[in-house]
Formats: sequence, structure tokens, C-alpha cells
Amino acid sequence: MTVKNRSKICLMVSAAIMVIALVLTICGLGVNYGIDFSGGLSMEYTMGGTYNKADVEQILKDLNVGSFTLTEQGTDEVNIRIKDINQDDVQTLQASFEEALFAKYPSAARDGDVSYVGPVAGQTLLTNAFTSVLLAGALMLIYIAIRFDFNSGVAAVFGLLHDVLMMWAFMVLLRNVIQMNSSYIAAMLTIVGYSINNTIVIFDRIRENVRKMPSAPKVDVVNKSVRECLGRTINTTLTTLITIVTLYILGVDSIKEFALPIIIGIVSGVYSANMINGYVWAFLEEKKRARKLQPKKAKA
Amino acid sequence: MKAKKTSSKTKSIVLLVIVFVLTVALGVIGVTGMNLDARGLYKLKSWLPTTNADNWPSSLSLGLDLRGGVYVEYSAARPENSDADFDSLMEGTISVIQNRLTDKGYSEATVQRIGTDGIRVEIPDTDDPKAVLDLIGTPAKLEFKDADGNLIMDGSMVQTAVGGYDSDQADYVISFKLTSEGATVFAQATAANIGKTISIYLDDELLMSPTVQSAITGGQGVINGMGSLERAQTMAAQIQSGALPLVLTQQKVDTVSATLGSDALSTTVTAAIIGILLVMVVMIVRYRLNGVIASWALCVYIILLFFLLAVIPGIQLTLPGLAGIVLGIGMAVDANVVIFERFNEELRAGRPLRAAVRAGFKNAMSAVLDANVTTLIAAIVLMFYGTGSIQGFAKTLLLGVVTSMFTAVVVTRFLMKNIVNLGMKNTGLFAKVKQVEKEEQK
Repeated sequence: MTVKNRSKICLMVSAAIMVIALVLTICGLGVNYGIDFSGGLSMEYTMGGTYNKADVEQILKDLNVGSFTLTEQGTDEVNIRIKDINQDDVQTLQASFEEALFAKYPSAARDGDVSYVGPVAGQTLLTNAFTSVLLAGALMLIYIAIRFDFNSGVAAVFGLLHDVLMMWAFMVLLRNVIQMNSSYIAAMLTIVGYSINNTIVIFDRIRENVRKMPSAPKVDVVNKSVRECLGRTINTTLTTLITIVTLYILGVDSIKEFALPIIIGIVSGVYSANMINGYVWAFLEEKKRARKLQPKKAKA
Repeated sequence: MKAKKTSSKTKSIVLLVIVFVLTVALGVIGVTGMNLDARGLYKLKSWLPTTNADNWPSSLSLGLDLRGGVYVEYSAARPENSDADFDSLMEGTISVIQNRLTDKGYSEATVQRIGTDGIRVEIPDTDDPKAVLDLIGTPAKLEFKDADGNLIMDGSMVQTAVGGYDSDQADYVISFKLTSEGATVFAQATAANIGKTISIYLDDELLMSPTVQSAITGGQGVINGMGSLERAQTMAAQIQSGALPLVLTQQKVDTVSATLGSDALSTTVTAAIIGILLVMVVMIVRYRLNGVIASWALCVYIILLFFLLAVIPGIQLTLPGLAGIVLGIGMAVDANVVIFERFNEELRAGRPLRAAVRAGFKNAMSAVLDANVTTLIAAIVLMFYGTGSIQGFAKTLLLGVVTSMFTAVVVTRFLMKNIVNLGMKNTGLFAKVKQVEKEEQK
């Protein structure tokens, strides 16, 4: 099998996906934020038989809740989202709504989560997400710079940035399939910690091969290393993907919200590790070499 | 020379049998349950997957999202015209909430401070957020009772209360001033109870039972024995305002029904079992005998992880945590893949089995170590920034990474070494050596 430097094409493909996601976001079709980020009250009920949607809406109108969205899921499940609600009214509202609902439909029952998220909490979550990814990224840079060299650290963190952005881009593209909730932060950090593994295995091999072929162009060293590691890269990714895909297929909604971003992240991670990161390192190394050569020429 | 070989072979057989019996025995104990301690301190009951969350081991503590319950996050603010130390007010608020919940029978409720001004309350096994949240918001209840337990007066008759240090008594005290109505009631009560005790309760907790020396007519008094200045001030603030020392605003309220929790549990466990089996199949198909070793090590990983989860305090199993375990299973074999690929390379390079094991581990170690350290870094960062169930995920991931390092490196190496020691010569049991070489030549 031959491996060539296709990093430019790959970077362009990734950039195109990110640009599409950005354009969609600007057009108002951005990430589908779940209750954790958007705030408000969310309640879910099984109706236990046939019901009239208008009845449920009437109950809500009678309670003067203002604007709400009522989504029907499956045959007898309803999800109610109320965006603007006073923080102190949450429990009272829930109690009186349930009283009215259960009176009208005795077989109805609360199904799962009733969540209220205040307006500040969503913002805090977003800040936390950013801070934690930045912090983790910085720590990775330091660690890899110590274990390998600075350019390896930069290249690996470049790959991480790529993976995190790809996860976000696909959350935009798949907005009809998946919501973004607090578990997304866990997924993102997991990818930051995990997808770097493939990069490390390849960088480890690059380091070995550089010793064996010190005068070869760095791109050739990367090609050789990526090829030699392909077996492990594919197999490690495969085993992890098997477990997480099983989770996605069988899991409940909140597990799906966690599993899908991880799947995207893992695939993006193996893609960047093989097609991009090594070449970014080679590019940086060649530049460094050119810089070192420059002053010598000047002296001569 | 020959005798030495045979004895090392016998030793390997014995070791392998011991480890195999241990693995099976620990697995069986995990499934059937056992009291590790005669007094029942470590109850490692069945962790066999079940649809009923009640059947889950008592020693594995389940998070709210699996168990069902109410989760609340508050942000706390200093009340107007208060200049008391924020930290001590915060501590006061947390301890008051905790006491109130415990008093009302929510003994497993936890109250924690998050960040500087956040409070997280987790109350398992309830699905009535209104009841518990009303309880948290109830004002502190001050009561004066006579020796027979009859109520003399309550906190509504207190006009001002100030916490401080009384140097005469060398004690932390609350001095209070009663309303005029309170002063009259108190004067009558003390007159009637001379020589007897009057007990003062705060939120049903007995604070003190002083003996009345004489009738107190001035409408003023001192409660001593507060223990610390913070407590004296916090309690004083509560008695006076009749509310918590800090103003709380609900930021997040989550109610999870127990049925949803157990549904989530059973589907995740099913997914985990299918995932594990698939991983084992892939490993055995790809790495043959080594795949069997990896599957064995994987069993050890799962058994160990659940034992650790049950024994280490403060770790709750949450839904993302379970997902973390499942993910960890994939990651646990990652290290094995890296090691086996190296091992196969060494075999292809023509090394004998024993040398290939040694070289395979030696060359793979740095990559395995680096890969695990980066995941650890991410998990630690998550532990600091995550809330609730996300923290549960971070802790499980952390534990999973450390455990998988142990099983993938130590256990696998032990098994490989001893199996190779059995005197196997056929490298085909481990990898398709010759055919791969042909492919390479093409």
C-alpha cells in the first residue's frame, strides 16, 4: 500500500465542511441546543392511549404559561418546552399542569426527565465547555512538547482543533437528528484525550524513523510511518467504534446525545491523525530546517 | 538445561491455572455476591445486569440519572444589607439545607458547593420536586419549649438576633431581642418555670437547655454554646430573617423518574455486553491466540473495574459513567492492539516468540503510556469543569484508564510470557507470518 501526502486536499475537505456549518449557523440553522444550553422548562409525558393535542395545549393556555412548544413523539408521547418562565414558578407550574393533565387523561404519566434550566446556567455551560477544551488543549501541547518536540505538540493540537471543529460542524449538519446537551462537553473532552492517541502512535513511529533515515525529506518519513502504523490505527479505532456504535444503536436518547458526537470525533480523529497531523509536523520541520539554513548562508 | 526448561514450563502451567481460577472465581463472586467482611462492611452483591435498579449492588452507588430523583443547582447571593463573610454564609446555608433534608428522611441527599456561588443538591428516590424544594426554602424554625415539651414561643417573636463572642462566658453566643409581644410571653414563661429548664430548638435540633434562674422581663436573652463565630452569625441571621443565610435562585432542576433510570441502565448494560463480545470476536479473528489473551485481560479489566467502583467511596455510577465504561472497554484493548501489532512485526522480522514478546512490549510501551496520559489529562480537566453526571463520567473514565493500563500491560504481558513458555513454536498461532511477508514483497 502506498501512502502519499494528501493533506492539502484533506484540509480543504475539512475546511469546506466547517464553512458549510458556519454558513448554516449564520442562516439561523446552527446547533440544535437542548435544554441544558437553551434554558427553560422541559417536561415529557406518555399519554397512555389516544389523546387530543388541543386538550394539552388548552391546559397550558389556561395556566398562562406564555409561549410554549409541544412536540409529539411516537404515538402517545408529548414533550413540552416552555422557554420563558420565572425561576420560582417552576414547581408550582409543573404541579398544576400535572394535576390538570392527569384529571383529563388518567392514564397519562410523567415520562422521564422534567428539567428546568435557568438562563445563566446555559451560558455557564458554554463558558465551561470553551475553557475546558482550551485548558485540555494547552496541557496536551505541553505534554507532547515535552515527550516529543514543540512542533509535534503544535501539529497534534492542530489536529485536536480540527477534530473539535468537525464535531461542532457535524452537530450543525445533523441538527435534525441530535441535540446538544451537557454531555457534549464530556464527549468533546473524551475526544480531546482519545483522538490524540492515534497521533501519538504515529509520532512515536516518526521519531523512530527519523533516527533511521535522518537525511530523508520529512514528508517521506511521515508517509512511511503512517503506512507502518495503519494496522494499529485501524484496529484501535475499530474496537472503540464497535463499542460506541453499539451504545448509539441501543441507547436511550441521552446516551445517543453522548455517543454520536464521540463517533464523529473518533472518525475525525483517525482521519486527521493519518492524513493531516504528520504532514503539519513535516511542514513545520522543513520550515525550521530552512530557517536554520538561512543564517548560515548569510554568514557564508 | 532440559530439566530447567521443563520446570519453567511447569511453573507457567501452574501460574496460568491459578490466574484462570482467580479470574473465574472473582467473576462468580461479582455475579453472585459475597460479604467480604463478616460485619457486612463491603457488600459486593451481584452486578449482573438486571432491569430492576433495586437489584443492583448496594455497594455500587448509582447516580440520580440511573436511580431516579431530584437534582437542583442554585446560585447563591448575599442578602441585601449583609456584610458577613460570604464563605461562612455559604457553609451555613449548605449545612442548613443538609440538616433539613436529613431531618425529613432524605438521608441520602447530598449538598455540595460548586464553584464560588453555586450549590448542588441531589436527592435520590423521589420524584416530587415541589415537596423537597419547598422544604429547602422553608425558614429556620426557632422554638422555645418548657421542660414538658410544650411550645412557649417561636422565632416569629424574635426582633433581632446577633451572633458574637461573649468574653465573659468565653463562648460564642447569639444575643436576641424579642418583640414586645414576645417579651411578655417570655416573661410569663420564665416566671412560671423558675428552677426548671427551657429548651431552645433550631430546626428541631436542641441547641441548649438552660435552667431558669429568674424571670426574664427585659425581652432580651442569650443563647450560648454555638461552637464557632461562623455558626453563631449564620444562625443569628437565620433566626432573624427567618430564611436561609443566602438568597438562593434555582439554576437547574432535573427530575428523573426511577423507571427511566432503570430503562437507561438495562439498555446500556445490554449494549455493553454486545460491545464486549464484538470486540472479543474482532480481537480473536485479527490476533488469534493473542486475541484470546486480550479477551482474558478484558474480563480481568471488567471484574477489577467493578470491584474498584464498589469499593472506592465517592464514585457514583451515572449514565455517562456507564458509557465511559463501555468506551473504556474499547480503549482497554487499544493498548493491546498496539502491543500485538509490534509483536507481529517482530515475528515477521524473524524473531522467535519469546524475543518477540519482549521486544513487542518494549517498543510499544512509550506509545501506550503517552496515549493513556493524554486521556488522563482530559479526564482530570473534565472533573474540574463538569457538573453532576458529567463528573461521574470523568471519575469512571479516570478509573477505567488506570485499570486498563494495568490489565493491558501487566496482565497481558504475564499471560503472553507464560503461554509462550508452554513451549509453543508455531508462530501461526499468533499471526499470519508467511503470507504477510509475501504481501510485503509484492
